[in-house]
Amino acid sequence: MKDIKRRIKSVGSTRQITKAMELVSSSKLRKAKMRAEQARPYFNELYKSLCEIASANTDLSTIFTVKREVKHRLFIVIAGDRGLAGGYNSNVLKLAASAHAGDAEKPKIIAIGKKAIEYFDKREYDIVASYAGIAENIKPNLAQDIADIAIEMFRSGEVDDVQIFYTMFVSSITQEAQQMAMLPMETVKLENYGTMNYDPSPEAVFNRIIPRFTASLIQCAVVEAYASEQGARRTAMENATDNADAMTESLSLLYNRARQASITTEIIDIVSGASAQE
Amino acid sequence: MTPFKLQIITPEKTVFDGETEQIVVRTTVGDVGILNGHEPYCAALGIGQMRVMMDGEFRHAATSGGIIKVSHEKTTILVQTCEWSDEIDVTRANAAKEAAEGRIKAAQSDNELRLAEAKLKHALNRIDTAGFGK
Repeated sequence: MKDIKRRIKSVGSTRQITKAMELVSSSKLRKAKMRAEQARPYFNELYKSLCEIASANTDLSTIFTVKREVKHRLFIVIAGDRGLAGGYNSNVLKLAASAHAGDAEKPKIIAIGKKAIEYFDKREYDIVASYAGIAENIKPNLAQDIADIAIEMFRSGEVDDVQIFYTMFVSSITQEAQQMAMLPMETVKLENYGTMNYDPSPEAVFNRIIPRFTASLIQCAVVEAYASEQGARRTAMENATDNADAMTESLSLLYNRARQASITTEIIDIVSGASAQE
Repeated sequence: MTPFKLQIITPEKTVFDGETEQIVVRTTVGDVGILNGHEPYCAALGIGQMRVMMDGEFRHAATSGGIIKVSHEKTTILVQTCEWSDEIDVTRANAAKEAAEGRIKAAQSDNELRLAEAKLKHALNRIDTAGFGK
């Protein structure tokens, strides 16, 4: 009986923690969702401009758009800084791991988020750069720094392909691990782009946009991944709280039964004792 | 002057979405003024000042790196940062300027020097622009 009481208490305090984490995550989720929405127009406009330039100049072939034979790869992997978020971290890390399954050599890694750093460090990947604790409040300048590293490696031929792995925020309850090609860049030919005068030249503008675009891509991915993390954690904690509630219920039932049983035995003892005296 | 649609967007938020009569931006090849009915035009922007005219008065802003795109429907300015002159924190800009100057002196490599110079240019631009604040 004492044991059951102790367990009820411990489940109760765990429930308190999970409930608190659930509440924190849902408020952070709200903020993160807003940031993700604010970051999107910039990214969309940049992408549109890139596609317009690419559409207008069919012979435009900068180093950033031409596909090369892929020998070395760079993966930018975005995971969370903390656990307790259901399958959030493991899903995106597994996706990154399976993406290079057929390759002769392991890709180089830029790891964002403590969990990603730990994962790739343990498996002895070549980590080019790592960033922890930046996801909640990523600044455009930092995104630019990360993008510059990737661009420089791509330009110098150190890597022939840059992929980014993050978790897409579908809704508060669904998040999907995603892989996206960052470099070489894929542009969509637009049907209806109209003519545009570029100053000084389309190539110059294009080259100018590329770093901005990659930075914005990273920024958007990080912001989105962060929203996903909060969403995943909220769902996980909600389930944990529900489980704790169910457990407390069945434990208290057990406890009450045991209490009843002990009272009954006591009464029987007293009654049988009294009748023996008569 | 006939007003036209203008959007100023940074990675963090949409800074401006409304109508203006005239804008002047600093592109990599020089200052360019845009009025209503301008031909489709696209250029890269460097670190510099931008002027946006509303109700006959110019509003100044410090911007850094991006592009401007003029189409028949609207003008879009995509920049890394954009701060209106009355929003600039001059003490912070001054501190950034001094820090950048210190780093220029202490720079070990070309890359560090280039970075510090860009920071200085950005800080000076913000200080200059703040001078137009009301």
